[in-house]
Amino acid sequence: MELQILSPEAPSKIVKSKNEDAMDVDGGDVQLVMPGETITSDLQFMRGHGTYLDNESTVISSVAGVVERVNKLVSVRALKARYTGEIGDIVVGRITEVAPKRWKVDVNGRQDAILMLSSISLPGGIQRRKNEEDELQMRKFFAEGDMVAAEVQAFFVDGAIGLHTRGHQFSKLRNGSLVTVPSVLVQRCKSHFHLLPCGVHLVLGLNGYLWVSKPVPGNPESTDEADIERTYSNKNDLIEDSERESIARVCNCIKALAKKFMHINDTIIIYTYEASLKYSVKDLLQKEIVEAITSEASQKLTME
Amino acid sequence: MPYLSQAERDYITEGVHSDLRADGRGRLDYRALVLETGIISQANGSARVRLGGGTDVLVGVKVEIDQVEPDAADIGKVVCNVECSPSASQQFEGHGADDLNNELTQALQRVLGGPQCGINFEKLCIIKGQQCWIVYIDAMILDYSGNVMDAIFIATKAALFNTRIPKTQIQDMGDGEFEFEVLDDVEDAERLEGVENVPVGVTLNKVWTVMTGSTKLNKEHATPLEELCTEAKLLIAVNKDGKVCGIQKGADGSIEPGLMSEMIQTAKRVGQSLIRQLDQSLHNEEAQVEEKRRNGEHVEKLGFFAVV
Repeated sequence: MELQILSPEAPSKIVKSKNEDAMDVDGGDVQLVMPGETITSDLQFMRGHGTYLDNESTVISSVAGVVERVNKLVSVRALKARYTGEIGDIVVGRITEVAPKRWKVDVNGRQDAILMLSSISLPGGIQRRKNEEDELQMRKFFAEGDMVAAEVQAFFVDGAIGLHTRGHQFSKLRNGSLVTVPSVLVQRCKSHFHLLPCGVHLVLGLNGYLWVSKPVPGNPESTDEADIERTYSNKNDLIEDSERESIARVCNCIKALAKKFMHINDTIIIYTYEASLKYSVKDLLQKEIVEAITSEASQKLTME
Repeated sequence: MPYLSQAERDYITEGVHSDLRADGRGRLDYRALVLETGIISQANGSARVRLGGGTDVLVGVKVEIDQVEPDAADIGKVVCNVECSPSASQQFEGHGADDLNNELTQALQRVLGGPQCGINFEKLCIIKGQQCWIVYIDAMILDYSGNVMDAIFIATKAALFNTRIPKTQIQDMGDGEFEFEVLDDVEDAERLEGVENVPVGVTLNKVWTVMTGSTKLNKEHATPLEELCTEAKLLIAVNKDGKVCGIQKGADGSIEPGLMSEMIQTAKRVGQSLIRQLDQSLHNEEAQVEEKRRNGEHVEKLGFFAVV
């Protein structure tokens, strides 16, 4: 049995630009700030999220992140913040509570999101009204701990996210495992459901929860009773060892990208996966190999 | 209590069954660990261990002079304490970590408090029947992502290796009266005797597979999600000679006698190899520090400024 014992590594020196007071966010340069760092002492700016005022004039960052400016409003977007949803976002969440007519879902936000019983697709006809029977067997659809892919539908008055799972691509998640990354890393794109060339299905939740799994067989668009049944199934299909290896490899590639704090989308995951094929799956946890595969992938991305 | 869905549970247990876990590791594979010793200058010895970029354990060793216990007049003692930082995990908030603190403290104290600890307790006695050294081992869990017990043991062993006890000089005052003086010189401080015999803990988890009904499976360095699938776990403390220094069972499930002896054999093998590699890395680190000192270079410990 081989054990890797490493020594800690010193942080690389960050060269900061000298003119701290001169704020030039429009120049295209990304200004990174630390908590407590002065952003500007110019009186004309207003403080936004992630900042506070000190002695009436200096705007100081309260989080570590990127400075953003809209006209006179200065705000800091945190690098590792909780997820704040936007309507239309695809998210992956975990059911934490079954409440009357609704589920509470953990989506890595400031509070749990809410999935109403009326916002899921019920068995037996797509556009059926919910009835008392459904209310009594809510745990048959989703129980505590279940993973679900959903779309942000609305916001409640208290700011809680309202989800829905109507539509064939949304279902209970199975056949695979969850990877969590900082939510800022997941980019908004046309589709968040991908079937990778390596035969692995991927749900890119914008809240930083990614679901990597074996694709579920069958025609997802059919409204068959059997298919609806499958939507709420808890049982995994038979997963071959080779499929399991591909899933583990994709998971480790995503973790590698997150470790290097790179944006995550389907293209970069495929490139990283291709670069990783030289190594065995468990070697992908090593630091040097993480470095190698992610830099190879980002090179490939810039070449396009 | 964090949740896990049935499908995830099945996926993880089946992964253990086919010797390919969710992150590509085999059943008995450890995650890489990052180790640094001597990072707390106020302590007599310290070490920080991080496992797989998640679990983070800081151990400090402090030696203090105290009166000997009346029923053990010629030995010193070891006192352990483990505490989980509330920021390590959501479940540790408030009083959430109390049970875990107790469990970990007890486990560590049981292994290191007795003669199986390996440290020569008689050497810790300064004047027979009067005063002795007490070795306080304080572990702090700063971040949690599974398998803290093994990390605590590794960090403790490293911290004890790093510990230096000041020398004492005993003066005979006549009439059977003795007095002693603690020598302040840092160079004179010496290592604890028998520190190489301190055991490490190996935690093996038993995971039940649904598919085959009953399978004996074990694995170690479990991630938090995997720990949720564990039916029973066994902590086995092993020293460098492969001697078992303590066993403690955790979680709700049971362990069959056959599986138990198999787990112990596995732990012996794994533990010995772990100690060998740990000792080597500790000696290397110490040699590097000494060489820097000899060359008059400044020895800088990274401590909490380390990036990885």
